[in-house]
Amino acid sequence: MIATVQRLPADVAFVVFSRTAVVAALVALLAVASPHFLTSDNMVIILRQAALQFLLSAGLTLVVLTGGIDLSVGAVLGLSACVGAALIAKGFLLAGIIAALGVGLACGLVNGLMVAYVGIPAFIATYGMLWIAHGLGYVFMKGEVIHGFDPAFRALGAGFWAGIPIPVLVAAVLLLALHIVLYLTPFGRALYAIGGNPVAARLTGIPTKRRLVQVYGISGLLAGFAGLVVIARVNAADSGTGEELLLPIIAAVVLGGTSLFGGVGGIMGTAMGALILALVVNGMNMLGIPTFWQAFAMGAIVILAVLADVSFKRRYS
Amino acid sequence: MRLLSILLAALIAVPVPVLAQGKPKIVVFTKNVTNPFWRAVRIGADKAARDLGAEVEHAAPTKPDNIEEQTRLVEDWIVRKPAAFVFVPVDYKALVPSIQKVNKAGIPVVIFSNRMTDVDFVTYVGSDDETIGYEITKHLVKSIGGKGKIVHIDGVPAAITAQNRKKGLERALKESPGIELLASQPGNYRRLPAVQVFENLMQRFPTIDGVVCANDDMAVGVAEALAAAGRGGKTKVVGIDAIPDGIAAIQSGKMHASADYSGHDQGYLATAAAIRHLRGEKMPKDISLPVVIVEKSNADQWAVPVEQKPAPDWKKVIAAQKM
Amino acid sequence: MSSLALRPGHYPGAAYLFVLLAAAFAFATPDFASARNLSNVGLQAAALTILALGMTLVILTEGIDLSLGAVLGLAGVVMGIVLVSHGASLPLAIGAALLVGLCAGALNGALIAWAALPPFIVTLGTYGMAQSIAMVLTEGNSVTGLPPAVRWFNEGEWLGVPIPIWAVLATLGVTYVLLYHTKFGRYVFAIGGNRRALELAGVRVRLYLAAVYAYAGLLAALASFIMTARMNAAHPTIAIGLEFDAIAAVVLGGTSFEKGRGGMWGTVVGALAIAVLRNGLNLIGMSAEWQVAVVGIVIVAAVALDALRGRA
Repeated sequence: MIATVQRLPADVAFVVFSRTAVVAALVALLAVASPHFLTSDNMVIILRQAALQFLLSAGLTLVVLTGGIDLSVGAVLGLSACVGAALIAKGFLLAGIIAALGVGLACGLVNGLMVAYVGIPAFIATYGMLWIAHGLGYVFMKGEVIHGFDPAFRALGAGFWAGIPIPVLVAAVLLLALHIVLYLTPFGRALYAIGGNPVAARLTGIPTKRRLVQVYGISGLLAGFAGLVVIARVNAADSGTGEELLLPIIAAVVLGGTSLFGGVGGIMGTAMGALILALVVNGMNMLGIPTFWQAFAMGAIVILAVLADVSFKRRYS
Repeated sequence: MRLLSILLAALIAVPVPVLAQGKPKIVVFTKNVTNPFWRAVRIGADKAARDLGAEVEHAAPTKPDNIEEQTRLVEDWIVRKPAAFVFVPVDYKALVPSIQKVNKAGIPVVIFSNRMTDVDFVTYVGSDDETIGYEITKHLVKSIGGKGKIVHIDGVPAAITAQNRKKGLERALKESPGIELLASQPGNYRRLPAVQVFENLMQRFPTIDGVVCANDDMAVGVAEALAAAGRGGKTKVVGIDAIPDGIAAIQSGKMHASADYSGHDQGYLATAAAIRHLRGEKMPKDISLPVVIVEKSNADQWAVPVEQKPAPDWKKVIAAQKM
Repeated sequence: MSSLALRPGHYPGAAYLFVLLAAAFAFATPDFASARNLSNVGLQAAALTILALGMTLVILTEGIDLSLGAVLGLAGVVMGIVLVSHGASLPLAIGAALLVGLCAGALNGALIAWAALPPFIVTLGTYGMAQSIAMVLTEGNSVTGLPPAVRWFNEGEWLGVPIPIWAVLATLGVTYVLLYHTKFGRYVFAIGGNRRALELAGVRVRLYLAAVYAYAGLLAALASFIMTARMNAAHPTIAIGLEFDAIAAVVLGGTSFEKGRGGMWGTVVGALAIAVLRNGLNLIGMSAEWQVAVVGIVIVAAVALDALRGRA
């Protein structure tokens, strides 16, 4: 059975419902287990970390919808952040932001070209880009740290507006924008179509190669943007920025119900996945569980989530 | 395929430097190319080579702190037969067989920053991590009046620097009964993980009087997190390494103090020791650098870019050693 | 059905790459072609080759296994702990490690074959779990104080040939027989190419699919012996990331992600090509910063050429 657009109401409803249930269960569990959990300060921290995680995983969601993968997200984030930081630290705020976004976009477009026009499997193409972006980052930074940014810029990562952390607001806006694009524009529908059945997509007139280049480009652009938020957060950039993030980035997408085969899922899911991850990490720290167990928790949760999704699909479709 | 072959051949055949006659070539190993601490080490090493008339090439794993890669680097470098190895292990146990191979090949080794056992080496250059951990913790304890609650943000748990610094912290805490250690969590020597761990700890413990961080990269992050939460004035943060970022934080009052773990000096002295050994000079088995605490009163001396740091005085350093 | 190509146009990119790199490095520096260096490269490639052979079977079934590096670390750590903390004999410790690899692989296989979960996600999950367990068991430290007998795995020789090479040859032999002379092997190729037909023919596809992952896990444990011996210590994260190199080796060797096409010999050449590339770049003194970018460029370029020739 091959459907070009698998956005059956039941699928989406199940994802949102099940993830919300998980979030509610986690919150309830942690509120009971730790007195400091349900404070407004802690909620702010969780939301901020979830927002950051979402920004990192948003672009990847789009790529995965087309049946692809982007392993270079963390490295592209780091490279863009370093290039942007170099300019921002010298006072060229706008130029730095444009440079970071530009670098991210460029890397993404190269990924897209490799996958769509040269025909390199996305896994290898983006894996190669991971190395290339890391390498260029090392060469660019020469082992230095860039620190000390304009307070106006730092607000992007560390600031508040009406009591809400700015990254959360930015993430909310992005979530809404991407949701609209995915569900209400031909571009979004094309992504689902390509993921569901690339051949049929092409036959119905969708310029698949161009769309793929665009979607990888967007992924790179969003990685560049996420890089800016990260360095605004920690007020420093070095060539290691973005290195440790690969597993959580993919986990958030998968937890959100987006299938790696493409054609199924959405951006709301990724937002919920990011929230779940942030809750798990925060909860483990609250309970004093050694950080070594965090990878285990993430791995187990990812498997359980997919198990639930597959079981549901099997029973109801 | 032909184009690729031409490109690749051109890339590789870019003339490999012919060994300058008479100038010994020394390979200086560092743990990675991301942490500015190791950059300072490399700059110090280059200075020593320039001052003493030798050539230095650097070796670092492409994946930061990667054991398997450093092992391969050592093996590949043995083939190139340098005059000496200046070496820091990414894991002080796992790299033992590799350095034993260097010993077998008859190439002298100077070890710095992380001690190793079961291998032959000309000398060990470093600051004693246990003493550093002890001194910086004691400094923090004194600054909060000997009473209070503190948190420890550890480095990479497997690293001997982290293990010994923690031992020093524990020794200092034994001598300070008025201090309660609320938690000890690893930040892996990296800023973002440390910030995230600490933020969560801040929620768990509304009152934290002091934070001991295993390095400055983490300490500065923690200090920023405190400032962002409006708790900067109530919590004193100390770190280790005295990197430029940390110095700036100390000068601005965000951080309280840092213990100098001079990568620049270690790199310089270790390379100088290797060169002097090749000339036939006798070396002490241990070259220890004294622990210096940097705080607001003396921070200006450290606010110098690494390239402009003065080279340590060899004779003075040696004289200060117990020979 | 052998994948040994007989006509030049059908050699995978890795073959050209390997020859090209070897020639270029031999020309650039006399150190490369020295006996010592060549034997180094062979030994350096041993663990990767063994891992990549298991990965080949997995990819032939259109799957992927991201957990092999973590499983390798866990197996090594288990062997180390059994030896040091429990004073057990070497054969027992080896058995324990192999069992760990086999069970991890079987878990992957069960989830993928019977629960029908996507391999990428399952193995991503088991990667996290295996790494965590290994870190918890060791608190992030190396396990040392291993009995001297362990070093035999890396430094021992038999008939003048180093043990790791024997391990590779043995694995090659077993894998060759499995892939090309047994029903199991035929099914492995078929699962990748046309799984549905196999199921309709009444073959117990799920069992064979699970067995493929179990085999990969077993080989990861075997590779851990070599690495543990090399470091004289078992470290939990020693091979994290190695599975990506293994995947690169398999793809460079001409095995396709999607069509159940490819084979064992290509993987071996792919692994050697990667080892030669890294070794050569070290020998010519390329700085670490540039090496990282160059490795990425070379891998992408080699696969691109294959893709353009219609082989990826």
